[in-house]
Amino acid sequence: MPLSAEESDLVDFKGRKILLVDDDRLNLRILHGMLQSEGYVLTDASSAEEALALYDKVKPDLVLLDVLLPGMSGFAACRELHKRHGINTPPVIFITAKQEAEDVLEGFTAGGVDYIMKPFRQKEVVARMSTHLKIRLLSEKQRMLVDQLSRANASKNKFLGMAAHDLRNPLASIRGLAEFMRDGTVGPLTPDQLELLDLIHQASQGMVTLVNDLLDVATIESGELRLNTAPVPLAELVQKSISLNSLESARKRTRIIFSDHKASPVLSLDPARIRQVVDNLLSNAVKYSPPGSTIGVSLCALPDGTHTICVRDQGPGIPEGERDKLFKDFGRLSVQPTGGEKSTGLGLAICRKIVEAHHGTIVAENLPSGGCEFRVTLPAQS
Amino acid sequence: MIFTGKALVVDDEPHVRKYISLILKSLGASSIVEASNGAEGFAAYQSERPDLVLLDVNMPVQDGLETIKLIRAFDPKASVIILTSIATRQTVEEAADLGAINYLRKDTPRDELIGLLTEILSSDTEESA
Repeated sequence: MPLSAEESDLVDFKGRKILLVDDDRLNLRILHGMLQSEGYVLTDASSAEEALALYDKVKPDLVLLDVLLPGMSGFAACRELHKRHGINTPPVIFITAKQEAEDVLEGFTAGGVDYIMKPFRQKEVVARMSTHLKIRLLSEKQRMLVDQLSRANASKNKFLGMAAHDLRNPLASIRGLAEFMRDGTVGPLTPDQLELLDLIHQASQGMVTLVNDLLDVATIESGELRLNTAPVPLAELVQKSISLNSLESARKRTRIIFSDHKASPVLSLDPARIRQVVDNLLSNAVKYSPPGSTIGVSLCALPDGTHTICVRDQGPGIPEGERDKLFKDFGRLSVQPTGGEKSTGLGLAICRKIVEAHHGTIVAENLPSGGCEFRVTLPAQS
Repeated sequence: MIFTGKALVVDDEPHVRKYISLILKSLGASSIVEASNGAEGFAAYQSERPDLVLLDVNMPVQDGLETIKLIRAFDPKASVIILTSIATRQTVEEAADLGAINYLRKDTPRDELIGLLTEILSSDTEESA
């Protein structure tokens, strides 16, 4: 199968190193004749032992290996190569005299990827070799790219963390100083001045939230999210979060109702992080709820020992087709907050990461009655 | 009034000093002295003898942890609260070992910060009373 233009850009067979292992000089000569026009660099070995000895010097991209060899067999040599080089072992194609089912099977078990039969047919040999070389080169390239990407991602996270960290204190000061000024702590203000201050305050508040979210993402992604677990009465934690959100909820004329929490389990959790999750779910519910609607919060202990926190709203729900964006970084949906609030698109992604760090799950479902339900399930405690 | 004494605020960032000073004033502080690094802070402590010190950790010239040591050596009864950016456990523990009574994160929202400081100061006076 000839390579497409796109593929030949990615894989270049010229100069690829092939190790040919056969004790029959004639076979080697035939293979040389068939492969010379392909641009490979060919190295010969007449026994498995010689092939293994040559291996480290040649570092072949592919090995053509006779099954029947004096001394160590081709199968044994293939197993040895896999033992020594693991995932880096190049593709091994066996050379067999005839298609014997047993041989073919043992060859695959020994780690071979394919076989060619004597007498050789040039087109078949070339095609099988190029197929396996292509797979090999593409997967090598892929591994390299994945490696590069994860290093780039790590330095992005580091940069993000540093930038966000250095922005956070000045922003917090701007916000706090604006609050003091707005309160009239340093003298009375005209309505125009007050309006400007409100804008400064809102803008800095928005930026503090964004910076905190970015910092959380950077921390979590770099694997530095360490949970400081402690025994936490779950109902109490949820209640605190409701109190925090009640002001905003009242402003938007929505009500938060906490039910089913008579039995408050005490779970081993990172209280600050789980609180962050509940805060986020509640503030989202408030953000997307129409005025006059009710937000329901409940706790359930399930028979399998898990505990769930449910937050139901009467908002527009999750648009069909956008569900997979919900818990992704910057996964903003098409639904708009009902009071013009801002969203960084990071909140639920952070929630998912925190819940997963606790070995729990978070799911969202539209309710038949309208609105949607977010359900955090925390694992049974050992 | 939560705190009516004299406070010393040590931080290299002027906006943080101003912000923390306003918070202390809102709690009732009678006077506030500011210093922009640990060395200045320790000098101010010796000359002003404040009732409370709010001390940043990362500062040029002389950092917060070094400064607590000096202040506590000079006055073993000194009340020092650490100001941090990101409260790493290690820094907080080190500060506590050196005699800091508590820590505050500078990026805490104002009203929460006022609440925390109120809590810290009321429990501190209970203990020393």
